[in-house]
Amino acid sequence: MKRFLTSIIALMLILVMSLGMVACNGGGEVGNEDLPTDSEGNTIVKIMFHVDKSSTEGQAYQKRINAFNAEYKDKGIKAQAIFKARSAGASGYETELQNNKLDGTLADIITFDAPNTAAYANSGLLYDISELIPKEDQDKFFSLNMYDGKLYGLPIQESSAGFFYNKKIFRAASIDVSGFTAENPWTFAQFKDVCARLEAHGVTAVDMRIDATKDETAPYLLYPFIYAAGGTFVSEDGYTADGYYNSAATAKGFQFIKDLIKEGYTSYSIGATDFFTGKVGMYLSSGWTIPDLDNKYRESFASRDDWGLLPYPKDVNAASATGSWSYAITNNHHADKTAIVELLKWMTSAESSRAITDATGMIPARKDAVKDYAVGSPEYTLLKQLELSGEERPVTVAYPTFSITFNQVIFGLNNSEVSDLLNRATTTLQDAIDKIKDRQ
Amino acid sequence: MITSTIIIFILFLLAFGGFVAYDLATAKRRKEVYRVKSSATAYLMLLPSVALAFLFILLPILYSLGYAFTDYYLLEPNKINFTFLDNFKDLFREIAEKGMLYNAIKNTATFVIGVVPLQIMLALLLALFVNRPGFGSKIFKVCFFAPVVISLSITAFLWEQILASGEGGLLNSMLSVFGIPPHDWLRDPKTAMPCIILLSAWQGCGYQMLIFLSGLSNIRNDLYEAASLDGANRWHKFWLVTWPGLRSTFVYILITVFIGACRILTQPMLMTGYMSHTVTLSYYMYNSGYTERLVGESSAVALLMTIFIGGITLIQRRAFREK
Repeated sequence: MKRFLTSIIALMLILVMSLGMVACNGGGEVGNEDLPTDSEGNTIVKIMFHVDKSSTEGQAYQKRINAFNAEYKDKGIKAQAIFKARSAGASGYETELQNNKLDGTLADIITFDAPNTAAYANSGLLYDISELIPKEDQDKFFSLNMYDGKLYGLPIQESSAGFFYNKKIFRAASIDVSGFTAENPWTFAQFKDVCARLEAHGVTAVDMRIDATKDETAPYLLYPFIYAAGGTFVSEDGYTADGYYNSAATAKGFQFIKDLIKEGYTSYSIGATDFFTGKVGMYLSSGWTIPDLDNKYRESFASRDDWGLLPYPKDVNAASATGSWSYAITNNHHADKTAIVELLKWMTSAESSRAITDATGMIPARKDAVKDYAVGSPEYTLLKQLELSGEERPVTVAYPTFSITFNQVIFGLNNSEVSDLLNRATTTLQDAIDKIKDRQ
Repeated sequence: MITSTIIIFILFLLAFGGFVAYDLATAKRRKEVYRVKSSATAYLMLLPSVALAFLFILLPILYSLGYAFTDYYLLEPNKINFTFLDNFKDLFREIAEKGMLYNAIKNTATFVIGVVPLQIMLALLLALFVNRPGFGSKIFKVCFFAPVVISLSITAFLWEQILASGEGGLLNSMLSVFGIPPHDWLRDPKTAMPCIILLSAWQGCGYQMLIFLSGLSNIRNDLYEAASLDGANRWHKFWLVTWPGLRSTFVYILITVFIGACRILTQPMLMTGYMSHTVTLSYYMYNSGYTERLVGESSAVALLMTIFIGGITLIQRRAFREK
């Protein structure tokens, strides 16, 4: 009896493992099925969003989908929105994509975070749209989701960051920064000089967000310093980290941040609201801080006369943060992409771009959707900076590993040598890249 | 995946049916009529539980076991190659090079060594404290159990605020009253893990306290009376009556706390992020599988962890086996 039971269990184990492998290698292949139709004969195009339907952003997407359906009713195309709010970071959304790919239910268009372009394109998840989007349309965007010379996605919106500063503190310390604009950014040396004068005035100079190393915040806000110093993280093809991530120029960028910590201009223990309550002179953040400064913290910032926005400082280059979520057509089993491209064009039109960024407060992805901001306003600075010095985060198939290693380098700056940290980060990133590359 | 799961499930049902048929045929051959009837009913009633256990417990374990020998990449679920021991070689290389996995093992060991005795000791002390009739014992029971019912994420967040760096942290501001300068508790490698151990022991001990209490209620009162007649003091009563009476409860608690401690994930994830001084095995596994998308490698870590935890648990059971 015992032997019989053991044999059954062993047999089941072998069956499960072999069937599992076979099943995983089989399903969800790219095919040439037609798009489904509804009872009225309309072609259904599915689009999946990463936000909750009830959120402001979700509602904006739904409105644009409704407008598309009204416009394309006569042409027999109907868009169907699927909302899968991100859970457990981006990994929950990715698991959803993976499951959809496995069971052949991948939506025709998906939204995805721009740094994932390389990994998604490399894995065959995304469809090459280089030929489907005319060059003159591509030129209307501030940035494109390129990988290996091909176009894989179009941004929904754009972002940029900069140094919000407390004008009252600056006036009290007699610091004049009016000459530092997106067109004429300050230098690393000038940045340090301002920090020193703020410190001498008795306030913490700058919250560089070096404590925000649990997620993408620190990589997103701090990578421009490395590009500004002439450094980079990976080779142009995205497959080599050694010699780039641990190069002298990259080390120089990180050393600049380390020096700011060492000299006491910034620290890991600045409170989350210290800038907003007037304890810190400058605060590195993205455009989403503008509504907070306009509407909250009225005691410290009664009006825009009390705060301003400075661009990223430059060294050998000028560089600033960019990137947000994008749309992509998936490599699913629907071969005819005509109706799908129609929806993509609609969702990335100037009108959609304006409607969505009105809801999110971000910068439109298209140049022709941008409003006329007053010269010198925070919005103008962000926009100009995006145009003149916006640099995307490293394009590599192992971007999540890059993000982790970047956080670890920032975390370790206080206690370790930059070169040691970068060598360790390079080894880890190169290992991750090689593991993915070896599968091909 | 769904198709394969359905096929496997049908095969499982067939195998289960075969097993039942074989058992009933054996009973019939031996002319055990009553057993045939009762076994058939028992198997039928057992079927839903066995089927659910197979689908939601055994099947994922078996899948994970299989993936440990593949290069399964989350973004390419259609392309899985059998790589035999490559994942394990990579893991052992990382340990040898003192990489993140080495830190994960070291930190998990530190956590287990710290939290298991501390949590059990706290639970036992609390159980002994509230196991007295009198005013307030029920209130204390509720107070000590309260942290257990609070979500671990909320607990971690609250403690993060208490241990926050700078003068804004509650602990730092309290210490500043005594002239002690602020400390970065969660960033300092020397203090981060002890803080996580303390928080975890505080959070978890209430549950073990309840189990100890139920163990204490099973100890007969006449044993204490006899001990008193023999002139035993409090310590003697504890050592010679209470402790032996709690032996099986203690073994159960030891094993469950040990297993729980080996799987620690939420606290370091929420309080410090993926850093070398607090990364644990479960966090490493989560990061490999979901963040870095290397499911094959993550499954290999899971397999090694299962073998390790299973091995230690067996040793614990043998060491504390009733003679």
